[in-house]
Amino acid sequence: MDLRKPSGYFFTLLGLVLTLMGIFAPGTRAPLTEVNVNLYAGLTMLVFGAILLLLARRSGVPR
Amino acid sequence: MTLHAVDYFILLLYFVFVLGIGWYLKKTVSTSSDFLTSRHSVPVWITSLAFVAANLGAQELIGMCASGAKYGIMTAHFYWLGAIPAMVFMGVFMMPFYFGSRARSVPEYLKLRFDEKTRGLNAISFAVMTVFSSGISMYALGLLLQLVLGWSFTASVLLSAAIVLAYTLLGGLTSAIYNEVLQFFLIVVGFSPLAILSVTRAGGWDGLRSRLPAVMTSSWRYMSHASQNPMGVEVFGLVAGLGFVLSFGYWCTNFLVVQRAMAARNMAEGRLTPLIGAFPKMFLPFIVIVPGLAAVALSHMGVNYELPRKGAGFDYDQVLTTLMAQFYPSGLLGVGLTGLMASFMSGMAGNVTAFNTVFTYDIYQSYIRKNAPDAHYLTVGRVTTVAGVLLSIGCAYVTTLYNNILDLLQLVFGFVNAPLFATFVLGMFWKRTSANGAFFGLLAGTASAAATHGLTIAEGKGGWITPAATFPSTMAQNFWVAICAFTVCFVVTIGVSLFTRPKPIAELKGLVWGVTPIPHDEFVPWYERPVLLGAIALTVCLVLNWIFR
Repeated sequence: MDLRKPSGYFFTLLGLVLTLMGIFAPGTRAPLTEVNVNLYAGLTMLVFGAILLLLARRSGVPR
Repeated sequence: MTLHAVDYFILLLYFVFVLGIGWYLKKTVSTSSDFLTSRHSVPVWITSLAFVAANLGAQELIGMCASGAKYGIMTAHFYWLGAIPAMVFMGVFMMPFYFGSRARSVPEYLKLRFDEKTRGLNAISFAVMTVFSSGISMYALGLLLQLVLGWSFTASVLLSAAIVLAYTLLGGLTSAIYNEVLQFFLIVVGFSPLAILSVTRAGGWDGLRSRLPAVMTSSWRYMSHASQNPMGVEVFGLVAGLGFVLSFGYWCTNFLVVQRAMAARNMAEGRLTPLIGAFPKMFLPFIVIVPGLAAVALSHMGVNYELPRKGAGFDYDQVLTTLMAQFYPSGLLGVGLTGLMASFMSGMAGNVTAFNTVFTYDIYQSYIRKNAPDAHYLTVGRVTTVAGVLLSIGCAYVTTLYNNILDLLQLVFGFVNAPLFATFVLGMFWKRTSANGAFFGLLAGTASAAATHGLTIAEGKGGWITPAATFPSTMAQNFWVAICAFTVCFVVTIGVSLFTRPKPIAELKGLVWGVTPIPHDEFVPWYERPVLLGAIALTVCLVLNWIFR
């Protein structure tokens, strides 16, 4: 098994959930946060997940 | 702290993935060595991250943040001084012998290098210790979830134990290691936002420095005398005790971490495992320790954040979760909580997979039933996995009832572990070291550790023989107990070895420096050369120490 695939899917899904939260519930805040952290964290996770999937796809053979 | 549906969904998603990875790896297990040792099948980037993650349990995460709030950036000594040099030493100097010996475990190396009784001593104490440490971390997690989320202690302990059991039982060590990497990513992804948000809110590093006492933002400046710093340690005790004896003893001889490096595909990758792992390891303080500092700064800022209290003092163990409650909105909160669960699971799976291997090969196969077919040992390995989890749960409950017994046990294991590195370093680098030298050296080291603890007193601890000397803190006492144990073990091992018969050189092939082939690395690319990578790791680590001096 190429671990980059399941990890990639996991973080893509996680990123998707948080990004959607950030878009559709932009007012969700914790007491000390001022920015839409779900959106930013979600986008970062999407990028991380995509990088893992891209690396897995490029190598083709499981390392 | 209240959770919403989305947070539970994220937690559920994580459970599905860890179990899925275990399920997928089920087909790789057909022999006992597949199950217990992964049979040199794991790619090096995975072993490296697992090497770091197996040590990153929930207790570690909670405790490091707590120490950050209590002591400040000097807590990073547990990484920059207490881990990186030892990891580099392990990769450059020790892995060739672990790999060359073809041992399946650390106790088995001791059997090959020395004799049966040295192995037995190490195997039994290690097996008992792993069960207790996973029980204690289970207790810590259950207590925290009960306190913060109002979850039932029993439910959270049983659920998380059941998941760890399921995926280790399905895919064995490979499954534990693969999941540790996913867990490592999740810990980093789940907790770095906390570090960024809390430090930004407190005004960045400069803001922290202006709001905190200078002693909390310097790791070395106040170390020359124990009375100057809150840890109550002085530079020699710190460097020799933590930086040498304790850290080399842990990172180079503890099977929990060594097992990850042994799962690598070949000796070259086995040597690279701790060296590559050293790079993420040295940056972890920014994620796990710095939020603790930010919490103290925030509590001085009038932003409606106060350090959690317990009676008259502070309850530092709750700093991490109170910060999460303040900074994580629903959604990210789910990720943070999942990260906490992930750290707990990686720590527990690490203990359980080390326990089942040592029990099956070093206790069962050595003393109970020697020449059974492999399928029998595979079954024993699986049964031991279940037993290990059940025993850990038992220990978690014992801890809730008798806190003191476990403190005592941990103390005793500390005595057993403190001298171990002396035995290994002599065994690996001095052909003359004899089996009796090693065994009696270990016993003498353990006895002297106990004696040092019994003769000194710190914060009311120790001094049970007669308090002849006082240490400014239990941390200083621990460091000096370790220094004494190491020195006595070193001297006694040499002394006894000189008067007893060494093993014939022919039996030491692959086990000792000078009769073990060390692979040449002139022809491999620079990033695969252990010595060069080790030098780079140490340099970067030195720079970090300098910046935060």
